[in-house]
Amino acid sequence: MAVALECRNLFFSHGNTPVLKGISLAMKSSTFTAILGRNGSGKTTLLHCLNGIRKANSGTVHIKGTNIQTLSRKQVAQHISLVIQENPEVFPFTVLDVVVMGRAPFLGATQVPGTRDYKLAKQALETLDVAHLAEVNFNRISGGERQMALLACALVQTSDIMLLDEPTNHLDFKNQYLLLNKIKQLCRQSNTAVVAAMHDPNMAMLFADEVILLKKGVIFGTGPVRKVMTKANMDQLYETDTTALPFVRDGHFFIPTDVIETIG
Amino acid sequence: MSHHSQHPGRVPFSYPLALSALLLFFFAISMTAGRYDISMDDMWKIFSGTINATPLPPELTSSKMVLVWIRLPRCLMAILVGMGLSVSGAVYQALFRNPLVSPDILGVSAGCTLGAALGIILPGESVSLVQFLSFICGLIAVSMTLGIARLIAIRPVVVMILAGMVVLSFFNALLMILKYFSDPYDELPGIVFWIMGSLTRVTWTNLATAGPVVVMGIFIIMLFRFRLNILSMGDTRASSLGMNPLLFRIILIILTSVMVSVMVATCGQISWIALIIPHMARTLVGPRHESMLPVTALLGALFMLAADGAARAMTTAELPVGIITALTGAPVFGFLLYKNRGSGWL
Repeated sequence: MAVALECRNLFFSHGNTPVLKGISLAMKSSTFTAILGRNGSGKTTLLHCLNGIRKANSGTVHIKGTNIQTLSRKQVAQHISLVIQENPEVFPFTVLDVVVMGRAPFLGATQVPGTRDYKLAKQALETLDVAHLAEVNFNRISGGERQMALLACALVQTSDIMLLDEPTNHLDFKNQYLLLNKIKQLCRQSNTAVVAAMHDPNMAMLFADEVILLKKGVIFGTGPVRKVMTKANMDQLYETDTTALPFVRDGHFFIPTDVIETIG
Repeated sequence: MSHHSQHPGRVPFSYPLALSALLLFFFAISMTAGRYDISMDDMWKIFSGTINATPLPPELTSSKMVLVWIRLPRCLMAILVGMGLSVSGAVYQALFRNPLVSPDILGVSAGCTLGAALGIILPGESVSLVQFLSFICGLIAVSMTLGIARLIAIRPVVVMILAGMVVLSFFNALLMILKYFSDPYDELPGIVFWIMGSLTRVTWTNLATAGPVVVMGIFIIMLFRFRLNILSMGDTRASSLGMNPLLFRIILIILTSVMVSVMVATCGQISWIALIIPHMARTLVGPRHESMLPVTALLGALFMLAADGAARAMTTAELPVGIITALTGAPVFGFLLYKNRGSGWL
């Protein structure tokens, strides 16, 4: 698979606190890459540096071989979409209003979305099986539906590279699987390079093709899921002793060992 | 009208069209309101007489003077100020992702008021000095707010609102000093009257200076109507959609600040319009700025025209229009809060 997004030796500090300490990565098209790490390990910052929302102190990011610094914000946005954690909005926009905003990088600064843009937005909602939400108030739908709407917005924007920041946060059991399954399908159908920061290693085991293990701003493991997600690596990543149980796709299901001992 | 008109075969009700018609009607009524009695019939005679260039009957010449030199600039200014203030309010609410803000929060009005008070106290009774100082102090206040925010900006939106509060309090304290030392019989009433806001002083010259600024401002804001939707979704999302939110915010704040200080410099503080009119527009046509900005402008003009007409017609002493906007604005806002309950922004 072709490399869609690549970064070399990224450093980023928040004030005097170093957050990313020399990150080098390559993310491929048609591949679901999960970033795993504890709270504060730098997952969100890494995503923001990858699409240039935050400027790294040093290091480079390349989109399909082009240095991000030679591109305008608008050009970057034509190739990378970002889904941040869903939140109710201030104003009662309809879902379609929110989705059509994904067309912004393709419109002039003073241009207003036209019939074609609304058509593309509706198509994206159809692709995700949520066309019925188009005219509904974005603030009045469930968290799962809101996340679907934001995914549709990203899909309208571009399916080249999609960055997802904890996409299943606040979602119920069924919606978590539904959403990740959709993302996985998109990844294959649209040849998308999906890069998702995730909390649950077992979800990553189930859906991801590759994983990046991020600890205190440093990468200590990267590669195919079953090769990298070993008990030893998980123990080190989450700083706790884990037990690996047999799981689907010849993988493992990880549980902290002391939990197993407590519940017997 | 938009993608929202889902009733095929039925002509969609157009709010801008209906409101424009209503505005024209209010304009005609407002022209007849006031202490000097001019009937609708007289007004029509004067209007057609001027168009056809036929000589007027002598009893109507003073009516014509009143209409052309007092009421016409005043009514036009009411429309202009109503549009300008309410559109600025809509922009602020989108930029700060907060439906409860208006241009006052960055200290524009406080600065303008201090400048006006300074002009009233300084020797020499020049109206243009008062207006000039008002405009300058308004811009100084906003620059201070932006400067303070820039010094500490990590989360620009919150910091900017807090910096606005700092500047607002400081300018209000300065204003209190001026009030304390002003002549209680001569200058203090002038300052108080200024704070209440009124269109009595409006002349064609005022209109010629304020008009182009406000019209241009509204025009430029209209150009960025879709971008305002995106800015209201927050900085992270706006950047990931390819925008530079900081740049847009600075441009729009400077633009609206210039507009507001020009308006406050001519009419004094007119409260509530900037806060409530955008809400009314959103309740009518939804939050998309493509459709809500024109409706906001028209509603603002209507509201201001009606308030100023009422200010003239209600008593012979003429109430400051600021009192009327506050008196009607506050209950209307209460009603809107009730009506929009559960829509997400409360």
